[in-house]
Amino acid sequence: MPVPHTDSASGNSMPATSSPTPQKTPARTQTSPLHAIALLFERQPGLASVLCLLLVCVLTFSLCAPSFLSVTNLLTILRQNAAAFISATAMTLVITTGGIDLSIGAVAAFSGITMAVLATFWHLPPAFALAGALLAGTVAGTANGLLITRVGMAPFIVTLATMSVFRGLSLLIAQGYSLPLPENAPLLEWPGRGWIGPVPVPALIMLACVAAGSITLHRTRFGRYITGIGSNQEGVRRTGVNVRRISLTVYALSGLAAALSGILMTGRLGSASSNIGVGFELDVIAAVVLGGTSLTGGYGTVIGSALGILTLACLKNGLILAHVSPFLTQIFTGLITIGAIWINMSLKGRDLFGIRKNGDDN
Amino acid sequence: MTSQPPAVEMRGITRRFGAIQPLRGVTLTLGRGEVLGLLGDNGAGKSTLTKILSGALAPSGGEILIDGQPRHFTSPRDAQDAGVHMVYQDLSLCGTIDVAGNLFMGREPTRRVLGIPLLDTETMHSRAAEMLQGLGVVIRDTHARVESLSGGQRQAIAIARAAAFSPRVLILDEPTAALAVMEVEAVLSLITKLRDQGVTIILITHRLQDLFHVCDRIAVIRNGVVAAERHIGETSIGELVDLIVGERFHARSAH
Ligand SMILES: Nc1ncnc2c1ncn2[C@@H]1O[C@H](COP(=O)(O)OP(=O)(O)O)[C@@H](O)[C@H]1O
Ligand SMILES: [Mg+2]
Repeated sequence: MPVPHTDSASGNSMPATSSPTPQKTPARTQTSPLHAIALLFERQPGLASVLCLLLVCVLTFSLCAPSFLSVTNLLTILRQNAAAFISATAMTLVITTGGIDLSIGAVAAFSGITMAVLATFWHLPPAFALAGALLAGTVAGTANGLLITRVGMAPFIVTLATMSVFRGLSLLIAQGYSLPLPENAPLLEWPGRGWIGPVPVPALIMLACVAAGSITLHRTRFGRYITGIGSNQEGVRRTGVNVRRISLTVYALSGLAAALSGILMTGRLGSASSNIGVGFELDVIAAVVLGGTSLTGGYGTVIGSALGILTLACLKNGLILAHVSPFLTQIFTGLITIGAIWINMSLKGRDLFGIRKNGDDN
Repeated sequence: MTSQPPAVEMRGITRRFGAIQPLRGVTLTLGRGEVLGLLGDNGAGKSTLTKILSGALAPSGGEILIDGQPRHFTSPRDAQDAGVHMVYQDLSLCGTIDVAGNLFMGREPTRRVLGIPLLDTETMHSRAAEMLQGLGVVIRDTHARVESLSGGQRQAIAIARAAAFSPRVLILDEPTAALAVMEVEAVLSLITKLRDQGVTIILITHRLQDLFHVCDRIAVIRNGVVAAERHIGETSIGELVDLIVGERFHARSAH
């Protein structure tokens, strides 16, 4: 990799037209907790607003429903939403490139069906059935990616169409029935409903995915190009980055994550159904947007998306525990999404805490 | 000079966009270390021509030789591998990424943590600060997002990025258009300095007076071809204006 050498090409003997002020280098020493919170609001208004909403939800429900904060209930929330956390992680990458993937719910169902067919009808060992399901999802995601990056079709259109294709394929293969997983293959259900000691396996898988996704997006070159593509694709291409390959990989990852989600949902139910994950993509997209990721691309955080899923999950769970009509859940979900984006928008570009005035920024 | 092949040779470059054909056969040669001013009216095809040389656009016809070697650039990476770098008129920066991230876009240093190559942001920020300081660019915080900077600061970042690749051929497409006076001076000094290091430079600018400070030669594009070439000592701003707008307006622009 050529690395810029600052000594010769852009070196130090430039006529000193304008370098009276010394460069301000990374050092940032102020670390009082209040300042840190202020900085969070300033720099990451999306994260800050979803965090506020989550805290409001948790506070409200822990007052209304004492069992809300119990360990059992919190683990239930994680268990039930593990698939959404996983797909939201991948969806964050997709949306940060400026794209969208509407096919994840259908791909999740298709992967679950694939797993059941491989195990039940092809009599493959469970590990192969699992691998086959993951492969099916990855191939589906790659197909999306190829249509988007090679043919140049809009992501919305491509994934809307493949959503229909993969849902249809699932229905066709299963003939509308749900396919029970074989009794003698507990490994197939393990990702969805297993436990390691006191900890549910899906929660562990989900945590690993969120951590890996967050590191990938914020700490690797691949993640840097994802953000760059969403911000200025042509600009990134001109620096020599293969932007098509980056985008293709992102859609393939989204398919892989959808497959993993499908395996978890199927395992939890104990049987593969062509109807799992209907509307899944919309819940996931809502959570990603709730978490502060920009739908136009160029900015996104995986942690924000995870907080978005957590907020919507707490809302659903808490309203049930508080004996509120389940029909209200959807209404609240919609309203809270609008509320979060509203807060995010009004925080953006505001100098709420006088940080810029103090000359700490810019 | 005669024994060495020219640094850049473009022969009969054409390019059409559907019905319009901005380039109809441009032939242009640059000696090693030469600074060429490229002039032409708005829409004459200057950006199109230089994008072809930098691999960002494919030509419809014609050939390119770098140091005497025929080259077919299919991407900017190909051109960069041949030592050709360009600062684009529309800059190619990512607004939502910070200053250091933009300077290192495409060649970020990494550091292995548990075998995983992670961005070495510490190195990026300290090197970025050095690079900018070396160019006399005042940007106090390399953590600032590029969208929060002024036009001049963005331009400086784009130039610093291209210069840091140690280019053999550097193309600057209207690099001073958005700059304050001090910043223009800094850019012109930088161009001179790069020339002294043997970098071959193509400079596109509408500030004709700048050309006389840094260029060896001027080429004017009109009607899709190189309409005129002049050594800098043999021309004047008045003549250049005439060459740019063409014969039809000769009388009006001559006075
Ligand atoms: N991508 C494109 N698609 C269609 N037409 C283009 C494209 N790029 C440039 N052109 C046209 O080509 C001509 C030359 O443009 P350009 O090279 O940008 O001129 P200049 O840089 O000399 O002002 C203009 O008429 C412009 O509209
Ligand atoms: Mg131009």
